[in-house]
Amino acid sequence: MALIEVRNLKKYFPVGAGMLHAVDDVTMDIEKGTTIGIVGESGCGKSTLGKTLMRLHDATSGEVRFNGVDIAGMKMKEFKKDYRSKIQMIFQDPYASLDPRMSVGQLIEEPIKVSKQLKDKHQISKRVEEMMELVGLAKRLKNTYPHELDGGRRQRIGIARALSLNPEFIICDEPVSALDVSIQAQVLNLLQDLQKEKNLTYMFITHDMSVVKHISNEIAVMYLGQVVEKCDAKELFKKTLHPYSQALLSAIPVPSIHGKREKIILKGELTSPINPKPCCRFAPRCPYAKDQCFAAEPKLRDMGNNHQVACHFAGEL
Amino acid sequence: MEQKDKLLEVKNLVVHYETDEQVVEAVNNISFHLGKGEVLGLVGETGAGKTTIALSLMGLLPKPQGHVIQGSIILEGEELTNKTNKEMQKIRGNKVSMIFQDPMTALNPVKPVGEQIAEVIRLHQHVSKKDALTKAMDMLKLVGIIPERYKDYPHQFSGGMKQRIIIAIALACEPELLIADEPTTALDVTIQAQILELMKNLQRENGTSMIMITHDFGVVADICDRCAVVYAGEIVEQGSIEQIFDNPKHPYTVALFGSIPSLDKDVDRLHVIPGLVCDPSDLPQYCSFYDRCSEKCEGCHSCDPKAVEIEPGHFVKCLKYTQGGK
Amino acid sequence: MAKIYTPAMEKIAKKNAKRKKPRQSTPGYEAWKRFKRNKTAFVGLIVVGLMILIALLAPLIAPYDYQAQDYTAMLQAPSAEHLFGTDALGRDVFSRCIYGARYSLVIALFCVLAAFGLGGGLGIIAGYFGGKVDTIIMRIMDVFQAIPQVLMAICIVAVLGNGIPQLVVAIMFSAMPTMARNNRAAVLRVRSNDYVEASQAIGVGQGRMIIRHMIPNAVGVMIIYLVGFIAASIMMMSSLSYIGVGLAAPTPEWGLILSDGKAYLRTAPYMMLFPALMIMITCYAFNLLGDGLRDAFDPRLK
Repeated sequence: MALIEVRNLKKYFPVGAGMLHAVDDVTMDIEKGTTIGIVGESGCGKSTLGKTLMRLHDATSGEVRFNGVDIAGMKMKEFKKDYRSKIQMIFQDPYASLDPRMSVGQLIEEPIKVSKQLKDKHQISKRVEEMMELVGLAKRLKNTYPHELDGGRRQRIGIARALSLNPEFIICDEPVSALDVSIQAQVLNLLQDLQKEKNLTYMFITHDMSVVKHISNEIAVMYLGQVVEKCDAKELFKKTLHPYSQALLSAIPVPSIHGKREKIILKGELTSPINPKPCCRFAPRCPYAKDQCFAAEPKLRDMGNNHQVACHFAGEL
Repeated sequence: MEQKDKLLEVKNLVVHYETDEQVVEAVNNISFHLGKGEVLGLVGETGAGKTTIALSLMGLLPKPQGHVIQGSIILEGEELTNKTNKEMQKIRGNKVSMIFQDPMTALNPVKPVGEQIAEVIRLHQHVSKKDALTKAMDMLKLVGIIPERYKDYPHQFSGGMKQRIIIAIALACEPELLIADEPTTALDVTIQAQILELMKNLQRENGTSMIMITHDFGVVADICDRCAVVYAGEIVEQGSIEQIFDNPKHPYTVALFGSIPSLDKDVDRLHVIPGLVCDPSDLPQYCSFYDRCSEKCEGCHSCDPKAVEIEPGHFVKCLKYTQGGK
Repeated sequence: MAKIYTPAMEKIAKKNAKRKKPRQSTPGYEAWKRFKRNKTAFVGLIVVGLMILIALLAPLIAPYDYQAQDYTAMLQAPSAEHLFGTDALGRDVFSRCIYGARYSLVIALFCVLAAFGLGGGLGIIAGYFGGKVDTIIMRIMDVFQAIPQVLMAICIVAVLGNGIPQLVVAIMFSAMPTMARNNRAAVLRVRSNDYVEASQAIGVGQGRMIIRHMIPNAVGVMIIYLVGFIAASIMMMSSLSYIGVGLAAPTPEWGLILSDGKAYLRTAPYMMLFPALMIMITCYAFNLLGDGLRDAFDPRLK
């Protein structure tokens, strides 16, 4: 059994003009100790998916099973008691997600205090120091404030906070997109080391294809609230089936001047996820769109080798 | 080299930001040049001083903190550093234009976009209001927006469209030099590809020279002819993109390439540059990369190396190459 | 090329050499550093401090009793004996103005506390809970706000009668909507920060969220409004007294002293000049202080 099983998860937001389908019918399994990468452009619902899994948003419908127990439908009180500490999140902006009036030590001890896992002051302080050492923060920084630190160190605080409750599943919401490349590499390595050491399961949300390829076992490409392609990380780059994934991959600026790939330049921009029509959501921008694409919504189907794709003409293009 | 084709020449430029508390040495002794129709990439991390270089070229350093301490900026034989603000105004938007990073805040929200483009044209060229508007509509068409939308306000456009409008404004007076400060960082990859394609085409058609400021080597590979790597306010390496990408010499450039996750190769662990960028208000006397360098030697701690030309047009600022031994 | 030194850098190097040990940089200390750099705000702080000192030490400073009438010295122009002159009953205007500081500051303080307790509390509740609670509270506030402040205060005093508690109630109600609005905005601003969501993610409950995260981060902005509001309520109080619905004579309240002088504006203009100056200086100082605090606490908000 997979650690996380997501079944037909939907999250709609009521907005002035109707219903915004932020996450629309997402189904996936995440095995223990693996990393699933969620890629897509801004507004595709990838962050909402992460926040719905950890109940920062309540799901509109669908199930999220953690070790077989549905956590999306259970009472908030029960969820807080038994599951809050097992699912944690690392946020995108390491500055905005830390309370500016708390010192590094206070920030890291807060989850421990709130969860009441430890009560003795001395023990808490010891645990904080352990966590700081684990993520590579020097002990002398305990009394400094986040505004004195650089982005990489701030993100380490965020990681220490998430880890201090000994979670099993961590949702990383663009944890490195606000960092410079040299710092980004430090944080990515740290996340990988921690995964090996503690057998953690990650959901890695990002818009950066090269980062997601580096860190994930499996990748799901999202477009306007739906998963359009999902397969093994290496497979996605070898055998890209969905036209959107193809365009996404070809659009990445590659830091090399040899063997340039032909770019697929998409027309237009994301259409609105408010009250979407029952057709392929990518059809208006798709270079291969045919009548059928505007008539019916393609469902995810297995193309063998655990490669799922939601396109009427997958494999034929 | 081709002396007569030089459009811009920056020599020994030093820019400091001075406040009561500290002096930030943002740009330290930078020299580079730009030929006509050439695209130069300035690559570096946050706080390396890329944007400060751009602002000093535009004469837009924030006052009263920003000061050009020394050096010269020569555009088409004219020295820019001692120009008054009024004189610079005539040059800005006309000869030199800038595209800013954030398309969301660079447009006036209460003015139709057509008028915003026409305004720049009327500011620098003696044309009637009507002619300016016609020109504005042409510009919109050029950047791929239906000219009939000239009456629309910025909020009616998406992020990518706004960046197109900003490009239209920047190019409206057919500037000799276009400075683009991270023009695609705030955009999604598929939109970034559209905008880069557009800039590349416009640049080629008009023969505009361009300085592309970015942190992304991918963008540099895509659009630039030459590239300068900026670290702690200094150019540590510059050369043609073939020289930089195929034959990087400075330890920082090499490490930077190593820390980018690759799409083609599989690596287990990324290469990491240890430590942090040094504090620009407290720069060392010696090589500013010394503390993070994996190839440092004893001599590195005692002097600040000069940039040397190791092959035609390829400059490296590292002691390893200064001492002759290649 | 070697590092370039500029005069500005040498100056700072000297300054740093003098400093013994760098202080811990807490957010509060950073705010204080910014505040100290702001000269006008510092002047405001000094004047406010001076006013408080005058209020506290009024019996020591004032040369005469504020009620003592001296019929031998009526309507005298300012002199060494009577610094601000005397009024129609021969009372020393200087002493009255000094004691006035007591009344004005203390009453203003009570007004602020009362208005903050009621309006501010409602604003915080509206901001934190949002939704229907927010709508109901804020619509009620809108109704209050539709009535001009002075008019409302006059009505309340007219119903309740003269006296200090009545005055406080009147000012409290007239200031309530603005207070609620400001505090709601402050809470909303804090609530939209990512760290609130991040705290939810680690399981922080509602109570701890308000006490540990929202209030400490909103308190800076709230203090700014409060300080500004002290000036406003001194003004309001004086205006009410001036038109005769505030405090009753012979209380030495600045507005009342001003009002006493209006009959003698032609013959003894100093009777109005000095209390008016006191009101002006105090309000101005509080406003300067408020602006300075705003810049210090929130450098982005300008």
